[in-house]
Amino acid sequence: MKNLYILLLAVISFTIVSCNKETATTQTDVMNSMLTNKNWYLDYSITGNSTKSYVGQSTYFVSYLKDGSTKDSDGLTGTYTVEVINNESQIHVQLKTAGGNPLEVIYNILSVGETKLVLSKVVTSGTATQLYFTNK
Amino acid sequence: MRSTRLFSNKFLLLFSIVSIAASSLTAQTLTKRQQDSAYLLNPGQERIRKIKKSLAKKFVNFVGNDVSLFGNLVLSKQNINDNGVTAPINYLYNTVNSNTFNSGYSGGFRIDGIYKEKHRYALSFAVNRVAAGNNYKNKYSLSPFIDDFTHFKADDKFTTLSIAAHYKKLLPVNAMNKYKFYAVFGPSFDYKISSISKENLINGAGNRAIINGDLGAEFDNKGYYVLYAHYKLGVNMTSSSVPVQLNRFEIGMSIKAKDLF
Repeated sequence: MKNLYILLLAVISFTIVSCNKETATTQTDVMNSMLTNKNWYLDYSITGNSTKSYVGQSTYFVSYLKDGSTKDSDGLTGTYTVEVINNESQIHVQLKTAGGNPLEVIYNILSVGETKLVLSKVVTSGTATQLYFTNK
Repeated sequence: MRSTRLFSNKFLLLFSIVSIAASSLTAQTLTKRQQDSAYLLNPGQERIRKIKKSLAKKFVNFVGNDVSLFGNLVLSKQNINDNGVTAPINYLYNTVNSNTFNSGYSGGFRIDGIYKEKHRYALSFAVNRVAAGNNYKNKYSLSPFIDDFTHFKADDKFTTLSIAAHYKKLLPVNAMNKYKFYAVFGPSFDYKISSISKENLINGAGNRAIINGDLGAEFDNKGYYVLYAHYKLGVNMTSSSVPVQLNRFEIGMSIKAKDLF
């Protein structure tokens, strides 16, 4: 009888501890679900003190598709991955230039939601540009 | 023609009587094994009898236990502090913040009794379907275009199993031999059994266990039924990057199980 109680207690404890734990991909899964299969239209770009507004204009947009591919309104295509590196959420985009050369662009995700996306382009020198997108 | 129908009816009646008699005879015929087992102790029943006996010995001071079934309306609101979330996710504040009490429901059973013939108590076990309004304590903004947002979207519909231990203080109100009013207070514990969304697991925010402090009033109508209103204030039992304070009002009724069945 005592063994039965111990077994029951162990099963309950295991159930409590094991259910729905955060995993390494939880955050990227959620960000991917918000990012994918939408057209993200550029509303503002800010570099240093210079703010450019594209609100109400026929403007640049980019799409991140569920199959891991990306395309933009300029006709550039490639692949992308969402990663969390050193607590920094990033989009790594692998593109091919018009000449066929591979090009990697990295964006820090400053904020991503169902309708709003803010990215900062990672640059090795100079001031980073922040890009504000909406999903219309 | 008439005599044929009469004969037919008589035959049917006779056939029915014979069938019933035959079936009752069959039911009375027990196999040798069944006859043996009728005299032997059933191990399962014996175990239950022993448990009951040992419980009665241990809880000798807990008397007059009545089992009741209850159901209630639950009005809930949760206060959410998402300061600890570092993931760069935004939820537009106006779309997630309702700051109202939303309605859910719960049901279960409770055992009411008296400890040492002096202290009244109620132990209750329930399944709760909570639908909570959300009050987010923090607003963030990212100029120039995201006005107000939160970093976290709390699950606002979930199911819990709960256990509560309430002390009941009889209030000297009205004719106490007929109607009884009680003030009740005590702790309760909820455990979320519904799945937690991925959004709620980010940065270790997910939390299943809630510990509550309960306070309320109960009206006992001559032992026929009990009407009650309880307020529950709950917090996460373990530390979380998103502390949630769950406020609930329960309004319901309980009826003794023996009166129902």
